[in-house]
Amino acid sequence: MSGPLLLILAVAVAYLAAHVAFDWLARRYLIISGAEYLLLGILLGPQIANVLSVEVMASFSPLVTLSLGWVGAIVGTQFHIPSLVRIRALSYRVAFGEATLTLIFVALVELAVMQWWLGMGESEALAPAVALGAIAAVSAPAGIGIVARHLGRRSALLRQLEITTAIDALVGVVTIGLLLALRHPGDMAVSRPITPTEWVVISLAIGIVGGAMFQLFLGGERDEDRLFISLAGAIILTSGAAAFLHLSPIFTAMVMSATLVNMSGNRAEIVRTLHSSERPFYFVLLIFAGASWEPSLLAWVIPVLLYLVARAVAKAGGARLAARVTGTLSALGPHWGRALLGQGPLALALGLEYVRMTNAPVPNVVFTAAIAAVLLLDVSSAWMVHSVVEPMTADADRAPRTAGDAS
Amino acid sequence: MRRAIILLLLWGGMELLLSLDKGDHTTSSETLLIFGFLILAAYTVGEIVTLVQLPKVTGYLAAGILFGPSALGVVSLHSIAELAPVSRLAVALIAFLAGAELRWTELRDRAKPLLSMLGAELVLSFAAIIALLVAARAYVPFLTGLPMPETLVLSALFASVAIVHSPAVVMALLTETRARGPVARMTLGMVLVADIVVVLLFSGLLAVTRTAVPSTATAGGPSLGMVAWEIGGSLLVGTALGGAIALYMRFVKRELLLFAIVVTFFGSEIARLAHVEVLLTLLVAGFVVENGTRQGAAELLHAMERSAAPVFVVFFALAGAAIIIRDVLLIWPIALAIVVVRALAIGAGCQVGARLSRAGDMERRYVSMGLVAQAGVAIGLVAVISEAYPERGAQMATLFLAVIAINQLLGPVLSRIALKKSGEIETGTKVQLSSEPSLAPEPPSAT
Repeated sequence: MSGPLLLILAVAVAYLAAHVAFDWLARRYLIISGAEYLLLGILLGPQIANVLSVEVMASFSPLVTLSLGWVGAIVGTQFHIPSLVRIRALSYRVAFGEATLTLIFVALVELAVMQWWLGMGESEALAPAVALGAIAAVSAPAGIGIVARHLGRRSALLRQLEITTAIDALVGVVTIGLLLALRHPGDMAVSRPITPTEWVVISLAIGIVGGAMFQLFLGGERDEDRLFISLAGAIILTSGAAAFLHLSPIFTAMVMSATLVNMSGNRAEIVRTLHSSERPFYFVLLIFAGASWEPSLLAWVIPVLLYLVARAVAKAGGARLAARVTGTLSALGPHWGRALLGQGPLALALGLEYVRMTNAPVPNVVFTAAIAAVLLLDVSSAWMVHSVVEPMTADADRAPRTAGDAS
Repeated sequence: MRRAIILLLLWGGMELLLSLDKGDHTTSSETLLIFGFLILAAYTVGEIVTLVQLPKVTGYLAAGILFGPSALGVVSLHSIAELAPVSRLAVALIAFLAGAELRWTELRDRAKPLLSMLGAELVLSFAAIIALLVAARAYVPFLTGLPMPETLVLSALFASVAIVHSPAVVMALLTETRARGPVARMTLGMVLVADIVVVLLFSGLLAVTRTAVPSTATAGGPSLGMVAWEIGGSLLVGTALGGAIALYMRFVKRELLLFAIVVTFFGSEIARLAHVEVLLTLLVAGFVVENGTRQGAAELLHAMERSAAPVFVVFFALAGAAIIIRDVLLIWPIALAIVVVRALAIGAGCQVGARLSRAGDMERRYVSMGLVAQAGVAIGLVAVISEAYPERGAQMATLFLAVIAINQLLGPVLSRIALKKSGEIETGTKVQLSSEPSLAPEPPSAT
């Protein structure tokens, strides 16, 4: 049977499995689906069944780039400045504090591990360490949504968790975007070499200029079908341009869509149109992430294990420290960082970006860490959110104002 | 105008990016870049042409010609080949949507006029094109120097492909205008049935031709068994696929956008593996879903149309890009003669068929105008001829592509005029602005 057909069958089976089994599990036991697609990708990939061979994977490369761009565009829609300014600065301090602490802590741990365990030089180890820090910063938002629906109510802690996952995504995507720009191979036909700083500016410029131009292109279009055509063209063009220049499609698409939603008068329609089509792209991404995975050698087990431990410590400790420094510990609770342990598909997208980076050192260590974290943590991420939010919600019922600081 | 200016700026930006290429880039990122640009370009030109009352399909084709190898060269022949899967996906989507437009009760009620008009126009077009080619054989590159029997056989082979219509254009027009009246439905029914007839006729004639005109190619032509399987297998596979979709719609009915894409990919891939006709397979599947379920497939079709919208735009833009104006100009007199003769024969055939079957006045007057466009299956059949006859097949393909190019540009305009004159769309501008590209079908009729 041909690769594409098997891929389609795989998606169909995974999709049915997700709805027949995981949907029920999600409703009843707060188990999030997604990891099953990743697992399916691993099973079908070149390492096990070789149904999705290296050639098949290469032929679907544009689709993966497009999926990365689509994911980036969806992340970007969260950053509508007029909506963001309505949230108290304290919430951002907590969120940025947690994300930055996680990024720095995991990056430092991995930098040390790679030098000590893998015998890499400092400059060589820096890129994978920073990439792992960026991936570690990312948290899954799906569990929060499920718990909110399960509890049937909103709370200050849930709102803070939503803000934090958005900021986590921003920190992760920006870090990877900068990493790809700063480590650009410089293989362009230009009169003089482009400096890393200029590549960063080019990355941003593609997103900002693209967003501004597409805003003018879309005008006041409100019909979702017409918007879909234009948005698909815009995302494909932006991610294609970024991939062509060896820059990050997620980052440029995120900047593009953030610019678009801030400049456009039809933000709600744009967001709705993008979200209505996100699931196919997530499925593609998860399956390809699984199939792209090359199991690590024994030597790589330690960095991966340490990544999991360091991330758990950084998320729990960083969140607690950020809350303590900003004086919101009583409102958020000492264990609120546990709710951020789920990784989500964005982590895999960032891992894929790193793997696709030209001359990326130890790509499989980074990717294995991302996959391991998703497989181990995502299934239980809603539980973890629930275990944190429910007691705090009960407390808030008793003392309604204690969490007010965090909102 | 605003979109056109933005498009020009995007084009400039893209050219700047592409100029940075040292030649060591992966083609996939370049293809993606061009794909995105083509969607926006075709969409913009499609919007612009509505200002002069032309169908959007014509705008998409014009964008393809403008940015294709014949003019600005943004889309290269290599990119067209790289984007071939998008065209295949489009063909599958079009076929499924077209199949779902056909309702058994309606087909049964219209069977007599449909078959009568189709039979008459196919026979007349076939005979007229053969007569023209034989008469003008001195000017037809692939017939020069051949004795009469071989001239007749090759002319018949050419004519068997030249009589084909374009379900893609008809579907796109119906989608754009939401026309659902008797002329629209008769036109759709005729182009779909004609495809089956043409595949059968072509396969039979190719087998005859291979006996009469020996080929230097090693590839064998289709045997009778192969033709039978291509048709019968398509019915079997399409029915099975349609049944599976109907079950899904009954018991699961979720994530329809994703399901629509999976169905289309799966259908075309399984048809390719089973060596059956993709178009016919998906058409049958769409027909089974629409007619085999109680509430039809309106929701699935809407999801399909959502995913089809950008694919349609690119499909027609790619078809436009594939038109090599230089080749058309080289043989334009004979190509134009074929176009005119074919169009007149279609018109006469429809008149005769309509009178014989006592079809409605609107169908008699306007259906023929919707049958002029050509694409899709025709291009595939020409490729088969080129494979069987490398030298004369290539000359035949050049002439045929020139004919298709003219019909492709002329067809949508005539189709739209027909729908407008028959009163199945209101004023052009009004409908254009309010309807495109959502092609959600109406609920099944009560008939």
